[in-house]
Order: sequence, then C-alpha cells, then structure tokens
Amino acid sequence: MSDSTIRTYSSDQRQTDNDETVSTPDEDVLTCPECGGQVIDDEEHGESVCVDCGLVVEENGIDRGPEWRAFNSTEKDEKSRVGAPTTNMMHDKGLSTNIGWQDKDAYGNSLSSNQRQKMQRLRKWNERFRTRNSKERNLKQALGEIERMASALGLPKEVRETASVIYRRALSEDLLPGRSIEGVATAALYASARQLSTPRSIDEVANVSRIDEMEFKRTYRYIVRELSLEVAPADPAQYVPRFASDLDLPDEVERRSRELISNAQADGVTSGKSPVGLAAAAIYASSLLTNHKVTQSEVSEVTDVSEVTIRNRYQELLEATEAAA
Amino acid sequence: MTDPKETINIENVVASTGIGQELDLQSVAMDLEGADYDPEQFPGLVYRTQDPKSAALIFRSGKIVCTGAKSTDDVHESLRIVFDKLRELSIKVEDDPEIVVQNIVTSADLGRQLNLNAIAIGLGLENIEYEPEQFPGLVYRLDDPEVVALLFGSGKLVITGGKEPKDAEHAVDKITSRLEELGLLD
Repeated sequence: MSDSTIRTYSSDQRQTDNDETVSTPDEDVLTCPECGGQVIDDEEHGESVCVDCGLVVEENGIDRGPEWRAFNSTEKDEKSRVGAPTTNMMHDKGLSTNIGWQDKDAYGNSLSSNQRQKMQRLRKWNERFRTRNSKERNLKQALGEIERMASALGLPKEVRETASVIYRRALSEDLLPGRSIEGVATAALYASARQLSTPRSIDEVANVSRIDEMEFKRTYRYIVRELSLEVAPADPAQYVPRFASDLDLPDEVERRSRELISNAQADGVTSGKSPVGLAAAAIYASSLLTNHKVTQSEVSEVTDVSEVTIRNRYQELLEATEAAA
Repeated sequence: MTDPKETINIENVVASTGIGQELDLQSVAMDLEGADYDPEQFPGLVYRTQDPKSAALIFRSGKIVCTGAKSTDDVHESLRIVFDKLRELSIKVEDDPEIVVQNIVTSADLGRQLNLNAIAIGLGLENIEYEPEQFPGLVYRLDDPEVVALLFGSGKLVITGGKEPKDAEHAVDKITSRLEELGLLD
C-alpha cells in the first residue's frame, strides 16, 4: 500500500523518535506523537508507521504468527504444532482429548475387529468421563442448545461465543436456579445477537427455542438486569439487509429503506415503536417508491410483523420523510 | 411552558387493612348486598363502593385490600363505608383499624415528545429498561424516592410504587432535572 512513503521517511527520522516510542502501546487506535495522525502496522517491515507524516513509531516489531507457511490443508496439518484455539462454546473449552473416529493405528493401518470393539468401548467411557458431573452435563446441554439455535438463525461464530460467555456468567452468578437451562441459553443468545449488531427479532428467536415466548422474554429481562449487560435498543436499520434479501429485493430498496428510517429517527417518531415493525414498513415503503413492489402480506410473512403494523408505520415513515423534504 | 408537576394526576391508590378476625365469606356474601364472591375465580370477596368509587377485596383471614380509589382520602372514606357495612352484619370491627397505603399510581405529562433512544443512552443503560420490541415505554427505576417511572414517546409518564402523593412529585422533579441536564428536554 503506502510502502514507498514509509521507506523514504523512516530512514532519517528513526533516530529522533526512538525515545518517544513509549506512547501507550495498549490502546487500540494509536495516534502519532508528532502530528496526531493515525498509526498503522506495517507488517512487512515490522514497523508501526504514521499514515500522515510517515513517522516510525515502533520498529523491530515481533511477528507472533507461525514461522512456517502452508499452501494447502495437508501441508498445514503436517507443519502446525498446535491444536484448535480454546473456545467458550464447549463445556471444557475444547481442551480435553478425543479418541479419533478413524479406527486406524499410528501407522495408518486399519484395526482388527477385536481392537475396533475395544476402541469403541474406550470412546464411550472417554465421553462419559469428559462430562462427569451434572454441572458439566448441564453446561454441555446449554452450549449445545445455543449452538443449535444460532445455526437455525444463521448467527455468526462471534455471536455464539459471546452467548456462551453470557451463559457462563449467568451460571457463575447463580442466576440459573429457578430458571430453565433452555430459557437462559435463549436469552443469552438473543442478548449477544443484539450486542453484536446482528439482532434477531423476539419472534424469530422464540420460534427456534424450546421454551415459550413469555418465559424467554422474562428470562431475558432478568439476565440483562442481573448481569448489567447494557444492551442498546436495536436500530431498525440493522434488520433491513436481512429482510430485503429474504424478499429478493435489490440494493436500491435497502438504501431507500435506510433513508426512510433515518428520516423517521431525525423526526423523532420512532420512540417506543418496535424496531422490527419499522424495518418492515421501511422495506414495504421503499419497495413501492423504487418500483419493486412487494405486497404487505409478503413483507408480513418474512418479518413476522402484522399487516396492520406495517400500514401504520408506513404512514408515519412517509409523513416523516415529507417533513424532512 | 407549564410545570409538569401541575399535570400530576393520581390514577389509583391501593391500601390494605384488616379487621383482626377470620370471616366466613360465604355467609358474608349472602348478607352483604352487591358483593361478588366466586371462590373458583378469586379467593376474596369483592365489594364495590360507588361514592367514592373503589373496590374492596375482603379475604377469609379478615384482611381487606382497597383498590381503585383516586386519592388517599377516598381510600379512608370507602373503607369506612365497608367497615360500617360489616358492623351492620354484626361483625365486630374495632373503631379505627390501621390503614396502610401500599401503592400510588400517578400519571403526568412532560408536554413534549421524548426521544427514548437518546434518553436510554443518556440515563445509562444499566439504570433503565427499554425494549421497544416488548413494551413501548422506557422503564426508569429511581432509588430516591423508591418508585418506578414509565416514560413514553408522547412525553406522558406513569409513576408507580410510591407510598405517598409526594413521592410522585419528587420523582417528576428528579426526572425533569435529569433530562434537562442531559439536554434531552426541548
């Protein structure tokens, strides 16, 4: 990228700033001590450089990545000396040992049927040993539940990881007694999806959960309050891309929807209105405005919002846009 | 601009009291005119007073809950009526049983639209509860006075959990000054 500029400046400025490099290395965004510009990592040269003036803030940086290179998965398996990273998504953080399923010995030869039976038994006992007590079994079930619902909702790995952490926190703060494992797992997943700006509506989550909606909502409020999770109100615009793609609508509609929503927010008519309803109405309105008509009932089906709500919000959105124009 | 405190209106007062003896609700229901008693539906006997309008829930244990009154005076008035009615049925009721106000629900109007999203962030997400998907109001729990306020987008608010009418005034004062501090009230 900006390699050329880096090289020209770095050589003559290096000596002067060696003693100034102590500028708080822990912060996420470093600023240049000379001009206050943004500092980026230049991995090729092992330096941190200011984008604006080219000042080298740090040199001889350590590359913590692997020293080997692999070009396909076989090579990677051969060269890598570590296992998978630990994860909160597994009850043992993925740290315990598994007996392989291949039924092959160290030389890659198949086992005899006697041996195979023995390995099968060992596998079973290993599995039982891994989850010895009820606590671990419950945790395993909860995390499995989170995984299952997240898959059904198409939520990314970060959301699952966060949900698992929230569940573990609830567990360690003794919030589980009196509530169902599934309930807390569902609430944790909903909260983490909201926190990571990929919200799913309550209806969607309740549909894939094994508990009923009332219990889910109640548990969610309880968990959020007790763990002080600070879940900001969902932004209707965050629902728009998903709904638009579910309805096979082009980018144009999406863009128009965002406009409508931000107009409505500026006008202050969104207070207390369900973000899902607003998103649904914005999609409907912008599909009409851009000649990609979908019907209210189609939108209603995809978004789980009633047609009446769509009509009401639709009016308010258009009025707000008129007021803005 | 009118003072939001002037718009405060008491909507409901709930108070409890007791006559200190167990009652046979079945016979009370027979003798007391206008009493509703359906133990399948609700274990208490419901007796409604018309002036002032309120409902007294009389329980087998002799405890009485009065709800629906519009002021603390009305509560005392309607409970006095209930006590008199019970005395007419030759049930012994001491002269002045202690009446404890349990909850006062009030409404008020801040007189302008509120941006609940901004308020949610401004008051601090850990102090409030705002889930527009579940309920359109913002729930704000105050420590002093110990009441719960529901703020709505229209600028109207409901204050509940207070034990005396003054609590609502304090709460409205506190909320308006907090919102003014945050510059969210204009």
